[in-house]
Amino acid sequence: MAAKSDLLIKADPSIDPPILNIKPVQQILDLCRSMSFWPMTFGLACCAIEMMAVGMARFDIARFGAEAFRPSPRQSDLLIVAGTVSRKMAPAVVRLYEQMPAPKWVMALGNCAISGGPFYFEGQYGIVAGVDQIIPVDVYVPGCPPRPEGLLEGIFELQKKLTGRRWWPESREDKTA
Amino acid sequence: MDFSWLNLAIIVFLAAGTLLGAMPLIGATLLAPKSRARDLRLPYECGITPHGPARVRFGINYYFYALLFLAFDVDVLYLFPVAAFYPHSPGWAVFWELMIFIGILALAVVYFWRKGVFMWPRKVTF
Repeated sequence: MAAKSDLLIKADPSIDPPILNIKPVQQILDLCRSMSFWPMTFGLACCAIEMMAVGMARFDIARFGAEAFRPSPRQSDLLIVAGTVSRKMAPAVVRLYEQMPAPKWVMALGNCAISGGPFYFEGQYGIVAGVDQIIPVDVYVPGCPPRPEGLLEGIFELQKKLTGRRWWPESREDKTA
Repeated sequence: MDFSWLNLAIIVFLAAGTLLGAMPLIGATLLAPKSRARDLRLPYECGITPHGPARVRFGINYYFYALLFLAFDVDVLYLFPVAAFYPHSPGWAVFWELMIFIGILALAVVYFWRKGVFMWPRKVTF
């Protein structure tokens, strides 16, 4: 894997810190950011179907403030890599990531985005074995595809990463475990 | 002109408007982290690199037809008032003036005729 991945162009993740880097102000801003993610409308494979489902009324991502799916990277701060990243698509993914303004986060949704999923096997040449080989990933959501609740959990984890705490009740399984 | 409360209100309004417009921009400049990625300022947002320059030469076939339309359109436009006044005009002088006017406009049509515009030539070759 490592021998092949040097063919891939990695994204340039360079982000300048804010000019006024006051911690409490940034904490408040991070809270605001985490409660109003603007994900990019970017589906690569079947996980995008779950992403669509999560935007609809039954799962309703709007409850958690992340329903503003933007059709342009310039307006979004959350890149949900929903699906298989092929080698041909990889430069476009990198470019879209680079076109997002800071601050920005990436969610690898589904096994394909995490590791190549069922399409990765020894000697394959078409699939990027994990989107984290090309762009920095903040939260991984496993599943093939993950249920919409999984995507919501991913959003919660991202909120936790930004604000340091979970804002929503645990699921029943997590409580018993 | 003396300075009234109305003038003050207008100035306050302008200042408040400018401030309200500028504050988000200033706040974002100061408080937001900045990305410096390579492709951040690419003109297109679809993930595909732009192909070819924006300043290209393209055929202006319709330029002729636009001018031709202008020739006929101006013709008709100026002939309406003439037609309204014509029954009341004295003598033959107005008639000859009108003929000169139409003659000049007709020259434009003759010009395009000679240019071969009415042949509908195929300008683009595949």
